[in-house]
Amino acid sequence: MAALQTSAPPVPSGSGGRTIGKRKRKRTVAQRFRSDWPLLLMTLPAMAQLAVFFYWPSAWNIIAFMDYSPHRAFWENPLVGFAWFERLFNNPYFVPALLNTLKYSFANLLFLFPLSIVLALVMHSVVSTKVRSVFQSIVYLPYFFSWVLVVTVFVQTLGADGLVSNWILGFGGDRLTFTSNPDTFMFLAWLQWAWKDAGWGMIIFLAALASINPSLYEAAAVDGASRWRRLWHITLPGIRPVIVLLLILHIGGILTVGFEQYQLQRDAIGYQTTEVLDTFIYYRSVIGTEGASFGTAAGLFKGVIGLILILIANNVAHRLGEQGIYQKS
Amino acid sequence: MATPSDGSIFRRRSLLKAAGLGAAGAAGLPFIAACSDIESGSGTSQTTDGFDFLPEYKEWPLPVEPDLVGEPPNHPSGFTTYPEPVPAIENLPSNSGTFEITMPMWGEAPSNDDPYFAAIAEASGGTRVDLRQADGMTYAETSVQWLNANEFGDGIMFFAWMIASHPNFQETVVNTFYDLTDIVKGDISERWPLLAGLPTASWGQSVWSTDPNDPETARVFAIPGSFSGGSNNAMFARTDLLEEKGQALPTSVEELLEVARAVNDDAGGRWAFGGTDYLTPAWFGLAGGDGWAYIDGKLVHNCERPEYTEWLEFRRTIWDEKLVHPDLPSGTLDGQALHKAGTIVFQLDGISWWQGFIDQSTAEGTGGTIAPLGALAAKGRKPLVHVNTSVDSWTFLNKDLSREQVEEFLDFCNFASAPFGTTEYELINYGIEGTHFTYGPDGVPVFNEVGTTVVQAPVNHKTISGHVQQFLTGAPDMVQARFEYNASLLEFAEVNIFEGMRVEGPADFKSAGQVLIDQQNDIAYGRADLSSIPEMVETWKANGGEAGREHYTAAYDKLHG
Repeated sequence: MAALQTSAPPVPSGSGGRTIGKRKRKRTVAQRFRSDWPLLLMTLPAMAQLAVFFYWPSAWNIIAFMDYSPHRAFWENPLVGFAWFERLFNNPYFVPALLNTLKYSFANLLFLFPLSIVLALVMHSVVSTKVRSVFQSIVYLPYFFSWVLVVTVFVQTLGADGLVSNWILGFGGDRLTFTSNPDTFMFLAWLQWAWKDAGWGMIIFLAALASINPSLYEAAAVDGASRWRRLWHITLPGIRPVIVLLLILHIGGILTVGFEQYQLQRDAIGYQTTEVLDTFIYYRSVIGTEGASFGTAAGLFKGVIGLILILIANNVAHRLGEQGIYQKS
Repeated sequence: MATPSDGSIFRRRSLLKAAGLGAAGAAGLPFIAACSDIESGSGTSQTTDGFDFLPEYKEWPLPVEPDLVGEPPNHPSGFTTYPEPVPAIENLPSNSGTFEITMPMWGEAPSNDDPYFAAIAEASGGTRVDLRQADGMTYAETSVQWLNANEFGDGIMFFAWMIASHPNFQETVVNTFYDLTDIVKGDISERWPLLAGLPTASWGQSVWSTDPNDPETARVFAIPGSFSGGSNNAMFARTDLLEEKGQALPTSVEELLEVARAVNDDAGGRWAFGGTDYLTPAWFGLAGGDGWAYIDGKLVHNCERPEYTEWLEFRRTIWDEKLVHPDLPSGTLDGQALHKAGTIVFQLDGISWWQGFIDQSTAEGTGGTIAPLGALAAKGRKPLVHVNTSVDSWTFLNKDLSREQVEEFLDFCNFASAPFGTTEYELINYGIEGTHFTYGPDGVPVFNEVGTTVVQAPVNHKTISGHVQQFLTGAPDMVQARFEYNASLLEFAEVNIFEGMRVEGPADFKSAGQVLIDQQNDIAYGRADLSSIPEMVETWKANGGEAGREHYTAAYDKLHG
């Protein structure tokens, strides 16, 4: 059976990646600009957008090292070194928030990420396009619901005075405490992720599945490959680059698990279970009194850790022969 | 020598990059390390009386005296009849300016195109004040960023409780808003007689110092709202449901528990309580405001007092006995709807819910009667009632306005300060006769549908500046009932130990307070035991509580010597 090509052709061994005898004379910057200026011109709007909405705000990360006040001229804000970071790391609620963040992030990675893949594979195997489109719509529609709506639906359904509780009560049972029990919050959170986000993840994997050449399946079927064999040897390798890409991006965002889901259920579940880094920053910096510098220091911490994790994950992906988030030159 | 692999840091380009980054880091570190300490968020205290630059008080004679005479501010006087309104302003100014003022709105904001707004502009002398109404639920928090970005139009209105959401409100005020001192100083009664009739204490509470450590830098930065006094909140009981069960209104915490047990039916979907987080601390004698009481020669915070444990024990008891709606912690309940439906018997709400319940249950035909519980206390102690200690609100003007613009806006504020019994008050509070209201059989204006939508909102031009006097007005029965209710609370009103001073706590103290609220909820909703209170208090002390005590003690000493 022909193996599916999922990455760039291998470089002939011993060549060192150089094409001897065909080396072009290096062009000067001016020469390159003369030939490429239309391309550069086309990138200008995107560059401007990035500069205004990303790089300029990113430059303001410097206030993490200042005792910043918006009411002073920028240069009049005193530098305080790593004092805000010190205050952040010394805060007794920072480490629990960090641990909760990691806990939910890894749980999301372990239990939701594969669910999206499984859903995509199930959808891919449905032959009827009508059934597929209906199922697809039902599954990914909740992605567009706000967290307020999601939490409300769960309370109305599984809350102590919800639909299921009252039904159980009718049979002489007890009310559910599911939506206010910190011990079962992880399962509740997983249900909420599954309902809201799994469908969206599925769409991305479905797009990847659509790019697999159908003749590969036909050839495999002719060769006598079973459904599982086709899944294992064609489908999964076919979407592996996308899986790796999303996995790397997910790992990069490991300290960002969302905000509303935890903030909305804070009173019901308790702060010890629902305090994640984003709610920690919100309660202390955004609506709290620690000020913008403290929040920026926390945000910068998240960003640096995320960047390091992305670089490590990408490097590992490259070493394993995967493309990662960019094609290695 | 072997060629370094692509990933090696020994490649020439990688080495240069690493060297560059290292050099930048090495250069930056001393720059970052040679630094001062964090000074922001250390809290402020501001004296609010004894100034010689406030507007000189000139009593503005009321056109008609109230028939129920109380003891303002905690027990305001009231009108049980509607007088024939008379004009308050004799010499109408001739203005043409337009202002945009940001203010909170709970519910759907009406269009500024309604004739109500045009009529107000005309009646005020030509000044048009367009309202930029933002969601009241998030107003306090989001306003921090509007102020930082100078995106709040020509002015902004804040209720007094909202300023606690600002990290350093003193710094914000003196850097963002117009300094009114030179305009309002001294005798302003000729041009703005109604503003001159506002209590001196209200103007005093509109003062902030540009340097918190230098009393000489104090200036007037805001136009004060009304000084309502009294209690704004109450625990409302469904008296019809109590009667059904043969229960009377409870007069103590112990009685309340008994009544709650009698009316509660968990399996049947009826619970005694919804929220009990605010107001209830007063039943146990705990302090209002930032929670400080002066006991045995020092400031003691609520959480350090034995009554605090009693209060949490009460909240835990009603939770354990299933006397509280089980989905309350989810924050998704509509308490007022559940109270109307009889699902919740005791509803903790603003005092306006008294009239609101009657209006809504009459309109919807749901029926039922409610009444507020009086001053309650536990264990036979004397009750305590938390009361307002400052003006209700302020309107701040953008510092970019010109002096002429500010003066014109003060013309408008003078118009908006007209009290009950004037045509100006009637227009602002009820709208245009025939368009927004009609007179009822007892002569009291009654809103029609348009009036309810456009004018009845509790926050609009009517809160831009304070009234020279604040009265109980409206349906005669309700005025009488509220007058008697206020009278019954009067002797239990809490004495403000920081009277004459506005204290803003340090950032750490506020952060520790937020954690304390979370921990209180843990106990109240059964997630932590009462035995964890001592540990909670120690944590609070270590993480900002003691710093708070130091700051508030310094302020207290400054005030009391």
